[in-house]
Amino acid sequence: MKSARNHKLAFWLTFCPPTLWMLIFLLVPILIIGIFSFSAKQGLVDISASWVLDNYIRAFDPVYLSVFFKSIGIAALTTLICFLIGFPVAIGIASAPKSWKPVLLMIVVLPFWVNLLIRTYALIAVFRTRGFFNFSLEWVANLFGIPFEPLTLLYNDAAVILGLVYIHLPFMILPLYAGFEGFNKSLLEAASDLGAQQFKIITAIVLPIMAPSIISGCILVFIPALGSFLTPELLGGPSSQMIANVIERQFLAANDWPFGSALSMMLIYLTFGALALRYFWLRRRYFSSTENKP
Amino acid sequence: MELFPGGHLSRRQFLAGTGAAAAGLSLIPSSTWSYEAAKLNFYNWDTYIGETTLKDFTEVSGINVKMDLFSENDELFAKLKAGNPGYDLIVPSSDYVERMILADMLMPLDNSAIPNRSNIQDSFLDVSFDPGRKFSLPYMWGTMGVGYRKSKMDSIPDSWKWLFDSDRHKGKCALLSEASDVLGAVFKYMGYSVNTKDPKIIKDAEKLLINQKPNIKVFAPDNGQDLLLSGEVDITMEWNGDILQAMEEDPDISYVVPKEGSIVWEDALAIPRGAPHPRNAHRFINFLLEAEAGAKIAEFIQYATPNMAAKQLMPANYINNPAIYPSEQTLSSCESAVYLGADVVRLYEEAWSRVLAA
Amino acid sequence: MILCCTIVFLYAPIIVLVIFSFNDSRRNVTWHGFTFKYYEKAIHNNNLIEAFLNSLSIAFFNTVFSLILGTLTALLLWRFRFSYKSVYEGIILVPIIIPEICIGIALLVFFNLCGWPNDLPWPLNLSKITCAHILFSFPFVAVIIRARLAKFNLDQEEAALDLGANHKQIFKNVLFPHLKPALIVSSLLAFTLSLDDFVITFFMSGPETTTVPIKIYSMVRFSVTPEVNAASTILLLITIVLAAIAIWIQRGWAKEVEKS
Repeated sequence: MKSARNHKLAFWLTFCPPTLWMLIFLLVPILIIGIFSFSAKQGLVDISASWVLDNYIRAFDPVYLSVFFKSIGIAALTTLICFLIGFPVAIGIASAPKSWKPVLLMIVVLPFWVNLLIRTYALIAVFRTRGFFNFSLEWVANLFGIPFEPLTLLYNDAAVILGLVYIHLPFMILPLYAGFEGFNKSLLEAASDLGAQQFKIITAIVLPIMAPSIISGCILVFIPALGSFLTPELLGGPSSQMIANVIERQFLAANDWPFGSALSMMLIYLTFGALALRYFWLRRRYFSSTENKP
Repeated sequence: MELFPGGHLSRRQFLAGTGAAAAGLSLIPSSTWSYEAAKLNFYNWDTYIGETTLKDFTEVSGINVKMDLFSENDELFAKLKAGNPGYDLIVPSSDYVERMILADMLMPLDNSAIPNRSNIQDSFLDVSFDPGRKFSLPYMWGTMGVGYRKSKMDSIPDSWKWLFDSDRHKGKCALLSEASDVLGAVFKYMGYSVNTKDPKIIKDAEKLLINQKPNIKVFAPDNGQDLLLSGEVDITMEWNGDILQAMEEDPDISYVVPKEGSIVWEDALAIPRGAPHPRNAHRFINFLLEAEAGAKIAEFIQYATPNMAAKQLMPANYINNPAIYPSEQTLSSCESAVYLGADVVRLYEEAWSRVLAA
Repeated sequence: MILCCTIVFLYAPIIVLVIFSFNDSRRNVTWHGFTFKYYEKAIHNNNLIEAFLNSLSIAFFNTVFSLILGTLTALLLWRFRFSYKSVYEGIILVPIIIPEICIGIALLVFFNLCGWPNDLPWPLNLSKITCAHILFSFPFVAVIIRARLAKFNLDQEEAALDLGANHKQIFKNVLFPHLKPALIVSSLLAFTLSLDDFVITFFMSGPETTTVPIKIYSMVRFSVTPEVNAASTILLLITIVLAAIAIWIQRGWAKEVEKS
């Protein structure tokens, strides 16, 4: 890794374009949201920057905190399931013959070029009480003469997780595949020659090497899942609201942009907090490992 | 351009960036408006226009109409709040017309350009949300009520009780998903006005809903009629037009307005400030208010029309359909939803968040 | 084996979608009969075709610019130490973290404050939407490419330097081939994200700048007619054809490289 100071030209060439873009299109809008979060409503459209903490105090109400925690839980579960499914699929694609790889990638990605809303409605058509999944189960049950009660698969938290997994799967499969590609298989052979079992090979060799891809896949699933609102709205039951649904209501039905902004800023603070924790934890590990050196 | 002169981020600043010049035009009488291109940007709900209405208008006037779609009043409001991206004619519901008038987002209508105004039923010409109809003219109206599957009911469910206070249809009932709609109906069930402001009554309504939650299958955002059709639910709270469409597909489905009363809604035509083609918009409004055009629209979308001249051209089964035109008695128990002010809206939304989180 | 199950799971709703596009029923909930009429309606729906062209253009520009910005960001974070680097890393992720509705409204307010003009000719009138899409796509690209860079064996670079290559050659012949899978994957992702985005695009769009998700969203909320299914199926077929052409070209190109 090089220091910025010693390689000025290269550094600035890579630094300027993305930073400029973000300054203009991200930081200024975020600043606006930040200012809104400290503001108060004035009538129907005006917002006065009165620097009040009211919105944040409201955001700490147990109702909203419980929705926050629930959303984090659902997003975490979605990430886990996506990982458990995506890992073998990514290995499968990476191990395929070279000419098949782009085709397989296409096959995996193609469903996601159908509009999200339509896919969700199609999911509903498959999994509802009188949907194709239940029809197939009923047909199988009739074959065996077992009495059949249709399963209520939709309109509860499990359905929301199913929908979220369905939507975010490529965001896990694609980064994992990018990491697997070019994986040095001789390492695996060497390990099994030395007598290691399958499970040990996976945990001691594959996972550590794949760690950056796994982490990036998890980030790319967890964060959007946390912020999703169409899926819980369409597939969820009466209690399945997630934080983005609450925020959406504040910006639309409640017309309370300052409060919606405060809730959104909470999400940003949370993520920065998590990143800061990770930074300090890594630093401690680094220092403790250097301490152990003779 | 200062962001917060005197601590206020006012609408005028927002408008400054997007056609403030066009907004200024709106203050000049129509006869002196400058030349407009033969175009019209119409922002409407989906399937809320006759099959050939736009083509007919183009034939008569030579103006090309481009219709974009939106699906919720609050989306329309949020999008226009920060400035008009170029729409000439919008179709908000009554309580949102009220909000937009309060927020100075609409252009006053020039009645001299709309002679067909005389076709409108008198009762629609002076309403609480737009006194004297300075900014809007009615397009369609209807009721909210209960859609149900006849074969699964013991009798006609003409009370809100079956949705709010009973486990007879446990796991097979659906409600709407907007706080103001559901709470308004609950208030009616409890015997109060749709537009209740009393925090104590709101709290009681919240408790009632939380109690009923285990029996509710889903809070359906606009697709209750699909749930009814697919057999997912047997009884749902829905707008009359949606249930009417379902009734066409399945004769086992029917609609009733509960006896405790309900919400009567009206969608109105309005011209937002900053519209690039206001004169064309006026012509189009006039066209829509014609007898024939109005009749074609009503025939296709099967909603109640406030256009008396159009209604006279409609067949008997349309005029006598209680799902489209409720009886006088039913109407007397229904109320319009009005904008209750930011504080009450906040109470409703917080109550709703608590109901959803329970 | 899991691959097969996953593919079935992914495609089952799509197959249902395609079958129901032939359903002769206005509300499309129960099957009423076979018909092509909704395909005719979809093909003649000029608004839908315009929306489709808009969506494709936006997705294309989005992919190109996101790739550039994302790769630059990834290289920056991988290569250089600089002050406040961890803060920078966090900021890169912000477009993904904030709920889309928040970014949508913030950008709406922002563009109106700047006085971004609304009546530019095509394709410049899509600039608002494209800028917004690039904003939330390039962090995805950056994350994926960064992960791939982390696996880059620096010895290869040193060896190349020892053999007398300059930085440009190293980038072209050593780093770029290593990054290729990540670049392909990121472009697929950026394209998908753009094609499917609804919330942010809704706030950025105006009369002439509808995209497919917006059109479909407003159609679907009212009536899930088979026309919507037909339109999606047509879209899907067109994208399959485009993708197949892209793969075919890439294979031909790879064969040429091998020969030389």
